[in-house]
Amino acid sequence: MKKLIFFLLLAALPGAASAAVGCDLNDPDRDVARLFPGSTGYKTRYLSIKGSGGQLLLERVEKRLGDKFKGLYETMDVPYTLYDIYKGKEVIGYIHGVNQKGEYGGIQVFLALERGGTIKAFYIQKLTSRAAKDLRSKKFGTQFERLTLKDFERYSPGKPVSAPLKLEAPAKAGKDFQAVLRAVKKNLILMDEFVFSKKEK
Amino acid sequence: MNIYAIAYKNLLRKKVRTALTAGGIALSAWVLATLLGFNKGYQEGLNRDIDNMGFQVLLTAKGCPYEAATLMLKGGTGLRYMPESVVKTVFQNPEVEKVTPMLMHGVFDPNKGENGAVAAYLGVDAVSFPPMKPYLEFKQGAWFKDNKALEAVLGYEAAELETREVGDKLLIPGIDREVTVVGVLKRSGTQDDGTIFLPITAVQKLFNREGLLTGLGIKVKKEADITALENRLYDLPDVQVVSMAQVKTTIMNLVNSARVIVMGIAGIALIIAMAGVINTILMSVMERYAEIGILKSMGAMPLDVFKMIWAETAILCGLGGAAGIGLAFVTARLSEAAVRYFLPYAPNGALVALDGDISGFAFGLILAGGLLSGLYPAWRAARVRPLEAIRIEGEQ
Repeated sequence: MKKLIFFLLLAALPGAASAAVGCDLNDPDRDVARLFPGSTGYKTRYLSIKGSGGQLLLERVEKRLGDKFKGLYETMDVPYTLYDIYKGKEVIGYIHGVNQKGEYGGIQVFLALERGGTIKAFYIQKLTSRAAKDLRSKKFGTQFERLTLKDFERYSPGKPVSAPLKLEAPAKAGKDFQAVLRAVKKNLILMDEFVFSKKEK
Repeated sequence: MNIYAIAYKNLLRKKVRTALTAGGIALSAWVLATLLGFNKGYQEGLNRDIDNMGFQVLLTAKGCPYEAATLMLKGGTGLRYMPESVVKTVFQNPEVEKVTPMLMHGVFDPNKGENGAVAAYLGVDAVSFPPMKPYLEFKQGAWFKDNKALEAVLGYEAAELETREVGDKLLIPGIDREVTVVGVLKRSGTQDDGTIFLPITAVQKLFNREGLLTGLGIKVKKEADITALENRLYDLPDVQVVSMAQVKTTIMNLVNSARVIVMGIAGIALIIAMAGVINTILMSVMERYAEIGILKSMGAMPLDVFKMIWAETAILCGLGGAAGIGLAFVTARLSEAAVRYFLPYAPNGALVALDGDISGFAFGLILAGGLLSGLYPAWRAARVRPLEAIRIEGEQ
């Protein structure tokens, strides 16, 4: 009876505050098949920093990223959509995207990762930039293939790219090139926190 | 001990039966109060939604999509234009209080998604548009002040998607022009959440559509005859009239049809509960036949017995009715969620609007129905002959 009353009271409470925006694939069926040819299916999971460790996790992610979460839209309760990719019953990889503030609009950066965390494919789903065509080109995206979080460890957002990273910025990309790199590093850190480091434990 | 205390004690003698009967009455009261609340809430919500549009009539060029969603479906194409002079023509009608010109433009952005998508911009008048949308509140910043300024106000979801804040730049694809974000709106639950608003003259210039409009919002004076105005607007060449009043009437007609059926069900529930009351009180009278006989032989008048039994009915219905109405308040949000799930369209805001008037009316109806049901058992009890009642009890 107490549970029933509690449930009824809960239902009578005003609605929760508006949730923050996530980053989903526009057409998961098509995109999963394109990024993981040979996959047979996928499962979708929704994770957040708030739900996976809260303030402590946020501080750890910010420290590893070398930058603070900023603005109205980069908050602890942002839901991250993680696609577990299957071949039969076996997980063969992951697809994970993050929203990143660009110079002229939001950038949605997706990474297709192998089971060990190596980047298999890089994909910008949405971008508003003067260098949009170049940043979404195959040539630019290919540079990220085979990279891991370790390759980004010495990179700090906003600072020039240094060894071991060898990434070429498209002409006119300016701040958006930096934004994309920050998004990739953040994406890899979140994947490490949400998936890979948990697997090791 | 007064008559109500005796009636109350009588009810407590058969606790389970009393509780079940009161439960039935409570359910009826719950259904009644919820339905009355829904009726009020839906009507208010619909009125609010229509009022929030700011204008009751929308004028567009014939065949022009008048919603952003339709524009997207058409891939940003299919827009048709009216000359700006239509503003003067419309203003000549005495029913018109205000008008606000709008110009929508869609740009194909190849960098949205795999195959590109349309980015839509709505040019609005900095002076007349904001008062037409009083429900729009700002999370950051404010409306642009100048119709020529290269500035933008973003709806909540548009701002989230573009991660824009006040002071940020927004690039218009295709024409490679920058605008500065001067305002971010709070979530409104309308299509404005996904809209990028620009000053109308700026949109006309940016997209080479000087002197043209895609829509004209018309706010009609209170008490004015909207139908007469609409009929005159239909006579204008090459325009289509989208009447929000018509939309409202159509929806309300549908809701009213459904409401008749639902009220019928509520009525049946009420009748079943009342039958339960008659059954319970009558059974109670029969069980206490000898007791009532003794009461009368001790000097109780028929009216005293009638009042005692009637008071039992009143207490039963009063408690059941109050519990049901209380339940309606507690479950209002659950009921609302269920209605939203099943109805194809439900307005924003509270759908089940319960208040003192509705509670009082539902309680009064339940109590009146209960008292009506209690008349026969009370009358039977009042007619009990003392000697006959005691003799029958003695024979048993």
